[in-house]
Amino acid sequence: MKHVIVFAEHRQGQTRKITFELATEARRLADALGGKACAVVLGEGAGRIAEQLKSYPLDTIYVSEDRDVDTYLLDPSVDYLQSAAQIVGPSLILIPNTLSGRDVAGRLMVRLGAGVVADVVDVQIAGGEVVCVSPKLGGVLITSCALRPSEYGIATVRPSAFAAAPGGPGAQIVSLEKPAKTYPAAIERDIEEGAGELALEEAPVVVAGGRGLGGPEPFETLLKPLARALGGAVGASRAAADAGWVPYNLQIGQTGKTVTPKLYIAVGISGAIQHKVGMRASGTIVAINKDAAAPIAEFSDLLVVGDAFRIVPELTKLIDTAKGNLS
Amino acid sequence: MQSPASDGGRYNHVKIVVTVKLVPDPNAEKRIDPQTKRLVRTGVETVLNPYDEYALEAGLQLKERAGGEARVTIFSMAPEPLKETLRKALAMGADDAVILADPGLEDSDVWATAYAIAGALRKLEFDLLIVGGLTDDSSTGAVPGALAEHLGLPCVTNARKVEFADGALDVERETDVGYQVVRTPLPALLTTALTFGEPRYASLKGIMGAKKKTIAITTLADLALELPVGAAGSKTELRDFAPPPARGKGLTVEAGDGLTGAQAIFDFLHEKKLV
Repeated sequence: MKHVIVFAEHRQGQTRKITFELATEARRLADALGGKACAVVLGEGAGRIAEQLKSYPLDTIYVSEDRDVDTYLLDPSVDYLQSAAQIVGPSLILIPNTLSGRDVAGRLMVRLGAGVVADVVDVQIAGGEVVCVSPKLGGVLITSCALRPSEYGIATVRPSAFAAAPGGPGAQIVSLEKPAKTYPAAIERDIEEGAGELALEEAPVVVAGGRGLGGPEPFETLLKPLARALGGAVGASRAAADAGWVPYNLQIGQTGKTVTPKLYIAVGISGAIQHKVGMRASGTIVAINKDAAAPIAEFSDLLVVGDAFRIVPELTKLIDTAKGNLS
Repeated sequence: MQSPASDGGRYNHVKIVVTVKLVPDPNAEKRIDPQTKRLVRTGVETVLNPYDEYALEAGLQLKERAGGEARVTIFSMAPEPLKETLRKALAMGADDAVILADPGLEDSDVWATAYAIAGALRKLEFDLLIVGGLTDDSSTGAVPGALAEHLGLPCVTNARKVEFADGALDVERETDVGYQVVRTPLPALLTTALTFGEPRYASLKGIMGAKKKTIAITTLADLALELPVGAAGSKTELRDFAPPPARGKGLTVEAGDGLTGAQAIFDFLHEKKLV
């Protein structure tokens, strides 16, 4: 592993924050390994993303606007990534730890005979060896795992693990050749739901609600305004998702999503182990609960015992006012 | 593997394999022994990985809809054969089970794991392979994609709805922003999302019947793999592990009214430079 390649995941030209985080980190790692920092951008809108990526410290950006990438499942993307990896040579490949990122990682692992370390939050390089740090068992353990010496290695990286910082001379953009292949699994329809909302895993602030909210309305009337004021996203406990108050894609916890925002505000959530493992690694945890003895008291930085229906609107006002004063 | 069992749109001979992993009960609090730095497993029950229950539910629903001779086989890999936990999966309605059990699998990383499972699956005949989305104990999420590559199967992940149609499989799969409708030819690999629908409970009849179902044990020697597995065949190496820094119990504030509570939170966030 000498060079670093970033899989710049996007959706029809809409970037994800992690793409820029990985582009920034790729430079640091490439310098430590003595190689080049590259990115691969595929599908509709790839050219636009590549232009944006030029403000980040990369050497080469490999691009294909091939519509097959958007028409079929991940097969074309895997082909393009494999061919980019072969053009670049021995490398560490950084892939976002997202739904499709994990699929891509498993497939490239076999194509390139590479090791995979998943859900990476830090990478250390010493004497040419790549060691990845990742939380396991829902954050109960922090592991350090070395990629054994091999031509290729893969790390799937947790969103928000690294900071994005523009800079650098402006990368060279290179087109990738279309693979001469046909693909089996065609996407017949692609539907967006809740478009424009911040992805839960990438949000710097998460405001989550639980059983204590008593129904679906408070998610709209209480939590959404607070999340908006803080520039964050709304999440939920399993109890709230099971009750049908919110869709399952908002569920945080053992059988839902794992989030690590800078600030986590738990409203009417008791803090069962099922929920705890999905949010315990958050920066600061604030809980609002009627019950001073709720389990969440044990792992909150601040617990406010009181009526969420009265506290949350006041808090939203205070934050809006403070932001208004600043601007 | 064999070709699709479809015969003019009929699926009554379809063969489905569902892979399952046996993990420590995820509802038990996970603790690390400060002396040995290992996960405390005493008193913790081994259960079916919760994600895999959804995969099994998908397999059973498809089998029921296909009718006739359609079969669901459970496949599992473990250093030792955990027959009792597999009986529970059989009690849900699967027909039989195959375990790849061998001490030589111990300490396999994701590469070696996927390689060994693929080797064992090559010995089975199926039209559809269903894999749980993630594992509860050491999740990489890379196994399904790797199996699809090893076995040369189309890979449709995160399914919430599936239906046989015209010799193919129609799948509704969740994405980060919504969902997609995908048609894949068979044989194929499918993973299930948690929105697939609640896994069924085993009936009393199912539990009784499971005792008579076959659990076949296969070993690494039966597979005659080209490459090593276990620690020697792994491409990653665990160097160190430790519990994260403890999060101490924080402040508690009693809020008599809304504004008092809101102000307490605001001041706290302001002090931490979060607002």
